[in-house]
Amino acid sequence: MRQSLTGQQRDKLEEFQAFVAAEVAPYAGWWDRDQAIPGSVIAKLAGAGYLGCSLPRDYGGRGWDSVTFGLLHEAMGKGSPALTGVLTVQAMVSMALLKWGTPAQKRAWLPALAKGELIGAFALTEPETGSALQSVTTEFTRRSDVLVLNGTKKWISCAQFAGVFLVFGKLGQCPVACLVPRETPGVQVEPISDLMGFRAAGLAQIRFQDVALPESSLVGKPGFALSHVAAVGLHHGRISTACSALGLLRGCFEESVTHAATRKIGERTVGAAGMIRSLLARMGTDLEAAALLCHGACRAEDEHLPEAFEKALIAKYFASRAAVHAASDTVQVRGASGCHASSAASRYYRDAKILEIIEGTTQVHEDLLGKLFVDRAGPLELPIPFKATTHDRHPAATRRYAS
Amino acid sequence: MNIADHDGIKETLRRYILSSVSLTHLDDDANLFESGIANSLFAVQLMTFVEKAFAIEVASEDLDIENFKSLNATAAFVLHKNTGRSV
Repeated sequence: MRQSLTGQQRDKLEEFQAFVAAEVAPYAGWWDRDQAIPGSVIAKLAGAGYLGCSLPRDYGGRGWDSVTFGLLHEAMGKGSPALTGVLTVQAMVSMALLKWGTPAQKRAWLPALAKGELIGAFALTEPETGSALQSVTTEFTRRSDVLVLNGTKKWISCAQFAGVFLVFGKLGQCPVACLVPRETPGVQVEPISDLMGFRAAGLAQIRFQDVALPESSLVGKPGFALSHVAAVGLHHGRISTACSALGLLRGCFEESVTHAATRKIGERTVGAAGMIRSLLARMGTDLEAAALLCHGACRAEDEHLPEAFEKALIAKYFASRAAVHAASDTVQVRGASGCHASSAASRYYRDAKILEIIEGTTQVHEDLLGKLFVDRAGPLELPIPFKATTHDRHPAATRRYAS
Repeated sequence: MNIADHDGIKETLRRYILSSVSLTHLDDDANLFESGIANSLFAVQLMTFVEKAFAIEVASEDLDIENFKSLNATAAFVLHKNTGRSV
């Protein structure tokens, strides 16, 4: 994958790796223990342009391509998967707004998001609905000339410090998306602590009680909030999460092979044991495969191909599961030392599982991808010797659709 | 392809949809949403295909089920975006 990068992309990768080595990796364990990322670190991300990297320069962003966006997440994912949560949700809110916002909304919000002066949070999940997006119960109603928002969102990354929420709910039966500034009366943010992983990602529950908003806060037309607004946000979130998982996987692999090559048990290194080599073989192969899938998804997005959505699903599905396996095996290779907080392995182990859940669980991805593959398989043809009656014929064999 | 050619646009769309779902035939006015062809994933893929194939941008004001409900409707939308003409 590295060979197919342009010179500019390679330069950016070196920049990201240097940033992570200096500003992220040495402190990631502390952030995990403190369950917080210092504001000074968010300011450094903003100063480097990372929080608005995908937004066009017209709005103050860096206008980077998706391959470079992916390289940033890979580098950060190796240093601190929890920190990538900030980059992920910023991209989800920013890119959904860039695609579906009105010109006035883009002028009002995108420059601050691009500079990192404002952090966004993607308020989709609810306490009772989880991944069942169609079942959201958050309610918008029209009262004289304003929209009134009531409901609760939960497990929202970065909501502890975000300045604006992109909130999904229903207006009557229509799914709608709405920008809600944090300081709006009726908004109450309750931090969620003691998570297994992503402990520094600032998750919170947000309660909205009679929150009055102007109609101009709606993003996209009513009815298209889930199918189009959320879809674009989640798509960028999946690219981001896939590449973060790739970074975590790379971190696991490097830690495992270094330990296997240098740690001696008696006269032999750990890596001399066949059972350990099996773990490393699977990890290294998964790393190579995940890198190719992530790169392919980013390239498809850069070329604005329709299959970019599918490739992002595949990359996220594969990379997050591979990261979970790799983190588990890294702890195994390290032995007792991998179980202690002083080892990145123990943090990887806890963070990896979160990557398999956010932006759609593994099971949601299987449902979407499985259906997609079956739908594309094409009409079934009956075996030649078998003369079918109407009753025997599989519906898909003659599936046609007429108006 | 001549972008002003409604039938040409329609056939390009038809080829894409038939290559994406297990159908052998799709009528010009078949409703893509009521039939279940355009689920949420396919809806954004179709939108992206339309943007890429016909060099247009689908914006918030274009989000109308009438613009994408069928081959005929989508072709008319593309033609309108490109030329301002209605069919």
